[in-house]
Amino acid sequence: MYSFLFFLLLEIFGLMFLILSFSVILIYLILMVLSALEMRDFLRKNSFADYGDIITSPITPGVSILAPAYNEGQNIVQNAQSLLSLHYGKFEVILINDGSKDDTLEKLISSFELEKTNYAYHPEIETKAVRGIYRSKNMSFRRLTVIDKENGGKADALNTGINIASLEILACIDVDCILSSDSISRMVRPFMEETNRKVIAVGGVVGIANNCDVKDGTVTTYNVPETVLGKFQVIEYFRAFLMGRMAWSRVNGLMLISGAFGFFRKDLVRAVGGYFPKTVGEDMELVVRMRRYMYEQKIPHKVSFVPDPLCWTEVPEDQKVLSRQRNRWMRGTIETLQLHQALGLNPKYGIVGMISYPFWSVFEKFAPIIEASGIIYTITLLAIGDFSAIYFFALLVMMYLLSLLVSSFSVLYEQIAFNHYKEKKDLRKLIWMILTEPFVIHPKVVYWGILGHIDFIKGKGGWGAMIRTGFKKAEDKRNLAEQSTT
Amino acid sequence: MSKRLHWIIFGLFSLIPGLSQAQEDPVPRDSTGFYEFLKSQREVPGLSYRYIFSEKGITLAYRSDSLFSLSKTDSGYVSKPFADFSWIDELQQQLVVDSLMYQIQLELYSQPKSIEVAQEYLSDLIGKGDYLVKVQEDLPDVDLVSLAAKMPYLPVQKFKLKFMSDYRLLAVTLIIVFFFIASAAMIISMLVMKANKIKREALQDEYEGIIIEPLTTLLFEKGVKDIMAMDEAEIHSFFPKNLLVKELYQHVLIDRIIGLNKKMKGEFKEKLKALYKKLELDKVSIKSLHHRKWDRVTMGLVQINEMDLIEALPEVKKFTNSSNFHIRSRAVSALLNLSEHVDFKALRDQTYPLSLWQQMNYLRIIRFVGLHKDLNFETLLDSKNQSIRVFAIKLVRILGRVDMIDRLISYEETASDEEKIEILETYATVGAHMESRFINVCLRSSNPSVAAAAAKAAAVIGDADSEEILLDLLQSETDFRRKRSFLRSLYKLNKEKFEMVTSGDSSSDLLEIRNHILDPMLQDV
Amino acid sequence: MKKILIIEDDKLISSLVQFRLKKEGYETHLVCDGNEGILAIDSYLPDMIITDVMMPFRSGIEIIHHARQSQPNTPIIVLSSLGEEEEVVLEAFNLGVSDFIPKPFNPNELAIRVKRILK
Repeated sequence: MYSFLFFLLLEIFGLMFLILSFSVILIYLILMVLSALEMRDFLRKNSFADYGDIITSPITPGVSILAPAYNEGQNIVQNAQSLLSLHYGKFEVILINDGSKDDTLEKLISSFELEKTNYAYHPEIETKAVRGIYRSKNMSFRRLTVIDKENGGKADALNTGINIASLEILACIDVDCILSSDSISRMVRPFMEETNRKVIAVGGVVGIANNCDVKDGTVTTYNVPETVLGKFQVIEYFRAFLMGRMAWSRVNGLMLISGAFGFFRKDLVRAVGGYFPKTVGEDMELVVRMRRYMYEQKIPHKVSFVPDPLCWTEVPEDQKVLSRQRNRWMRGTIETLQLHQALGLNPKYGIVGMISYPFWSVFEKFAPIIEASGIIYTITLLAIGDFSAIYFFALLVMMYLLSLLVSSFSVLYEQIAFNHYKEKKDLRKLIWMILTEPFVIHPKVVYWGILGHIDFIKGKGGWGAMIRTGFKKAEDKRNLAEQSTT
Repeated sequence: MSKRLHWIIFGLFSLIPGLSQAQEDPVPRDSTGFYEFLKSQREVPGLSYRYIFSEKGITLAYRSDSLFSLSKTDSGYVSKPFADFSWIDELQQQLVVDSLMYQIQLELYSQPKSIEVAQEYLSDLIGKGDYLVKVQEDLPDVDLVSLAAKMPYLPVQKFKLKFMSDYRLLAVTLIIVFFFIASAAMIISMLVMKANKIKREALQDEYEGIIIEPLTTLLFEKGVKDIMAMDEAEIHSFFPKNLLVKELYQHVLIDRIIGLNKKMKGEFKEKLKALYKKLELDKVSIKSLHHRKWDRVTMGLVQINEMDLIEALPEVKKFTNSSNFHIRSRAVSALLNLSEHVDFKALRDQTYPLSLWQQMNYLRIIRFVGLHKDLNFETLLDSKNQSIRVFAIKLVRILGRVDMIDRLISYEETASDEEKIEILETYATVGAHMESRFINVCLRSSNPSVAAAAAKAAAVIGDADSEEILLDLLQSETDFRRKRSFLRSLYKLNKEKFEMVTSGDSSSDLLEIRNHILDPMLQDV
Repeated sequence: MKKILIIEDDKLISSLVQFRLKKEGYETHLVCDGNEGILAIDSYLPDMIITDVMMPFRSGIEIIHHARQSQPNTPIIVLSSLGEEEEVVLEAFNLGVSDFIPKPFNPNELAIRVKRILK
């Protein structure tokens, strides 16, 4: 009897894997084509863009740059200075000291001649207590505002920034990111080009600065990182950022913007209640919530994406740190998808509900589980001597070839579009990485993803009833906002 | 999502064929069927059968027959027990030929049992899995497969296996083939594209190299009149005819000439424009207006704009309301830039919402053109498109056109909320003190954005009425941010009233705001 | 004959400038990016440097810095594609640049200024 059940399961799994394999291949082919089309259009559009005007025109919207900082004492002054020297007309820089335990605040106060102001802080979005809001009497630093508050995490810190931001567009960035001097003008462009569809957010690309030469806030020479993990992340950056997000933005199905470099409409962020601090994936959760709001209000909208390399950061090359990051990403994805379950396969939510959400559930959230069971399945078939094991082994080989195809395509894609990694030896390193990634790195990534699932179920990172009530509050705030504007 | 998932899984389940069959009892309940079944099974552990005969007709031959091995009983004879049921046909045929009366008796563990008991027993065995039903008509390879698989050999399983392995094979093969075809197609096309791109770039570099000298010489050695007077032969001595007909060569020339035009001043611009026309590149630009692809059309429009090809304007007009954002944006730019009396009508008649990007570009052109031409953009206020009217109001403000204020005043009645906000800002910027009435009306608007804009304007050009209204609003307002903006306006208008409201036993909110407003470092917030 | 080093990445512009200056009787040498510019300053030892501000690999400001350090007496003219952006102009003059010509420019005018400085 049990043996019967066992073989029944095998049949079901077999069928499932067949369907999934076919879907994966089809979807990645579609993604590649879409991203190619989008990049071609983008490069064409770019040849007509003149950014000189943006900086000084009175029509251009103002940008409030929000950068939360926690224990960044070592580099904070340098980072703040580079932010203040960005090439743009109307902008302000708001640094939020999230209860740092080191001398972050002191360094800022002394370097920028800051003084505490009598700012009447009345939080629209509830946050942890704000201890003081500082500004400088020195005219050179007139754009700078520093908020000192109790520690509450990145989302909470950003929310305090949102509460006091005074310009139309918010730029939420990681304080240790390197921004090129024209990054603001380029990211603002999609907002300015909007006609019938309201642009609610613009995502950017976060490049990998490891091992590169940086000068005056721009990467001058691109080098591939030394370590295996670093090289892997370069490939991933080509695949996920350049190719993946370009493809998604073409169908207006983008559900995620990088938390390290994202621009948003301030009034809309306030309307949906700001970031949600109880989730570890606060960047994705905000975008999904904003889109949800727009669908529910029946306002045509889009989330744009700018693939120009404007922002760079150092990615973790240490395995421990990287595994924690991936674990957190997985938990964040699960939490966001869970919170917004109502979107799944619901035509009311357009492309996001019908395509992006299911895709993210199956191919991002459940991906490690599916992959792991696929391998186990094939090994089981081999073990019991089922002839059909050969077919599934063939499928695995094909998956490997698919990954080669997609990765090579992404590299070629970058070459045609930007061609930053020019050195022959760098290309060779990347090619070697493409060949070995599925065996050396990918199993680790799958493992970390599964750990993320386990940690999520174990309740790490604030899951549970808290999330439900927290979200409810945001919804209530939204409803309140609606009522008062009618 | 989970509910839907349940349905999907359920659906999958029902796809599994043969599922239902497995639960059926294979043992036929009718006696003929049962015997047929037994025959097909040949031997069944525990079951056997004998033949019972009466005395009549049993010949001596039979009695000594080793096949039946008859033994004498009280009522007749009984055969030996047989275990192999497939012999029944032959045995019974023998008996029929010899016209013998016989009875078949089923025995379970050598005990005579009725057919029902035997059926029960067999069903039981099969159900428990202790007995495996044999199926006759196997193809040898499936047999091998199932043998090799050492799988439980249920008839259901075998059928399923055949069906499944066939379709799995088919499916996997199809997937593999599909994959290889698709990836081959993709790789080939990308390689072809890359090769073409490299070729084109090499050629482009070459052309760029060879036009430098002719251009340089021409620009310095010839005056504008000389250029215009050049005949074909002379032109071709600088720019070879066989190259001039090539599209890429033209493209490079156009690009470089326009690039130079942007970076040079004075008579060089005239020379470049004359040269452009001499080389008939203007015809190329105008021709690209009719191209299929939008980026070529846009490039043509840009070139027309840069090179002041005024004669192309009638053509350009046709594109001003194109559904493609870039085309219509550039077409209007060209019109504003090149038309003799700055043509605002095309802009007015745009049906698509006007983006900020376009506004920025148009503003730049309008400012530039306004240096030596009249700007009669009043007509924009008559546009049916709200975004255009909003832009018009912005223009009044940014260009400081105080003469248009009267027009705006007559416009106030029909203005939408968004336009009202722009008007308020404009009045404030130009200092239209006489319009405080309008501001006061807007202060009481139900739309908080309008009220906020009115408050900002009131700070600059409000009057005594405004102060009263602000005081009034402060009492009823609950939103902190709005209170702050009202209070700030009041502060700018009338410091005494401000003091009055915020000192004494006013709420903590007001005190906080007061300190905020008085703080010199927070003047702009 | 005076030697002029031209550091400019736009080939047409540099060709025009070269042509015009040659007509005045100067010897010219052309490089197209910042790195080469810095090398050329030391190897060519020009009597004057004409440089753009926006260039690949090194900015014009860096070049001016370098020039001031190794050849403090050589006059420098800056040709700027950034127009007249305040900060850049100020910084350039602070470093001791002799003249600042924003684009769009007139090569004849450039020639006149060069002549004046090299008198």
